[in-house]
Amino acid sequence: MSKNIDKLFKDKFKESKASAPTEAWPIIEAKLKKVRNIRLGYMFSVLGVLSLISFMLFSTLTETSPSKPLHKNTSLKKEVILKDNNVNEIDSNKSNLPVSIPHEDSKKLYATIATKKESKNNMAQEKTAFFEKKFKDTVIEKQVKKIDSLVNNLDNLVEDLKNDLKKEKKKLLKKKDSIEIEKFNKEKRRRWNVIPVFGILNSGRLSKNVTTLGTTRAVTYPNEYFDDNKSSGLISSTYGFNVVFRATNRISIQTGVFAKELRFLTEDLFLSEFIPDVNPTNIIYNPGVEVRFSNTPEIGGSESASLAQTIVYMEMPFELKYRMFGDSKFNTNVVGGFSFLYLNKNEIRAKTNTSSRKIGKASNLLTTSTSLNIGLDIEYHLSKRLVFNSAVMYKKHYNTYKDFNNEYSPYNVGMHVGIGYKF
Amino acid sequence: MSAQAKLYSLFADKLFNVCLKYSRTPEDAQDTLQDSFMVIFKDIKKFKHKGSFEGWAKRVTVNVALQKFRKKSIIKFDDIEESKIPDEKVYVDVEEKEISLNFLLSLINKLPPQYQLIFNLYVLDEYTHKEISEILDISVGTSKSNLSRARKLLKKEIDAIKKLQL
Repeated sequence: MSKNIDKLFKDKFKESKASAPTEAWPIIEAKLKKVRNIRLGYMFSVLGVLSLISFMLFSTLTETSPSKPLHKNTSLKKEVILKDNNVNEIDSNKSNLPVSIPHEDSKKLYATIATKKESKNNMAQEKTAFFEKKFKDTVIEKQVKKIDSLVNNLDNLVEDLKNDLKKEKKKLLKKKDSIEIEKFNKEKRRRWNVIPVFGILNSGRLSKNVTTLGTTRAVTYPNEYFDDNKSSGLISSTYGFNVVFRATNRISIQTGVFAKELRFLTEDLFLSEFIPDVNPTNIIYNPGVEVRFSNTPEIGGSESASLAQTIVYMEMPFELKYRMFGDSKFNTNVVGGFSFLYLNKNEIRAKTNTSSRKIGKASNLLTTSTSLNIGLDIEYHLSKRLVFNSAVMYKKHYNTYKDFNNEYSPYNVGMHVGIGYKF
Repeated sequence: MSAQAKLYSLFADKLFNVCLKYSRTPEDAQDTLQDSFMVIFKDIKKFKHKGSFEGWAKRVTVNVALQKFRKKSIIKFDDIEESKIPDEKVYVDVEEKEISLNFLLSLINKLPPQYQLIFNLYVLDEYTHKEISEILDISVGTSKSNLSRARKLLKKEIDAIKKLQL
């Protein structure tokens, strides 16, 4: 196969992913450390020189400062001598010179020259000190400038490195996002997921005094006729299917249809025949049923029984799923939303040791109600099309009873599982 | 992890691939990589955010590699008038899958140094002839002619090896 030689080399080198040798970094690190140490050494030596110079300067200044007034005093003294025409001192100093004895004027002139000479010497000394100081100042300034520029360079280096790394981080995050978006776009065609779901529920109520729906208050309200009886929620089931639409990479919307059963049991009751409905119990007895529930054996007779209430709702949830973390294989989502509930079955049975028979229904249940749902959902992709789904859901019911406060409405905790098909 | 270590981990592999092209052995490439990173860390303040950092780091690496290359090899470019150079494409009959990167590296390393340099710069690092002429201080014509000869030599080598295999 004929191929352009440039392209052949270019492609091969682009494909190549040779990794840098692992031993390279420790060597670079050691070299960097060495450079850093040299820099530090340089800085310390500069600082040392600076402090030495400052120390020397300080000591020189403290030594030279008292000598200045002395010079001034001397010249002043001489001026005073001249003014008084007292040149004896000068004469005596110059007596050995091979000159004739000077006149008054020449004496004055000589004295002036001598004084000038002395002041010239003083000036020269001051000049030297001044230039020395100037020189030292310049050296110090230069060193300080050097240190400043070193510090600035280091700061800039650190700042630049930080900026570069931030940019690289941004780039990488962008890349990650674009990869995820790309993946999402690739999977766009499979945004729908239908999941047949089966779940196990346990129901109860949050109210302090009353623990289940079909017992005590729910049935006997307002007279609290069965309040002291033992009551509990029973394990029940739910089944149906969920339809999930993946709206974005993270958010999905799900709805579906479910048949949801709630079961409650009130124990330690008695079943009596032909007793009048003295206490209203929110039970509508079926025609032909001649027994009534009671919690006192004297009124009810001798047959002990339990009241079993079964409620079945058709449930239609509307929920949002948010993917918290995960990858293409395994995802964890939080789920939140609400459900519309339509009362489909309302049954009260009397259970004795020997029989179980349907005797009526609860009269205080509303046909439609709602529930608020939250939960945690886990997805495991078995293949490109099949997804195993498992969720733990908490659902609090609202507007369950006709004349009842929501406080007494039931809740249920359920574990749902299903295998979904993506298309 | 220090900022320098992070920077190293981000770019080491990419720059090592650049170094490989200009080095006779992997050990030479490692040396070039180390020197390049020292220059990058020293001169990082010179990077003025014109273009990507990766591009700048690659250029630094190529410069370091070129300096080393020049030290090790005597380079004598063939001068030729620009007008006499045909800008021809060279084709080879090969199965791409049969050719490894190491094989191509060995072919490049067999080239005379002046051809190797220009072929690397032009084909693999995508420098223009004008840029190459500035980097190597040669004329654009020289760059083009040396590239053309490099291509022909590479083709000759590949063809010869193919014949041997047959």
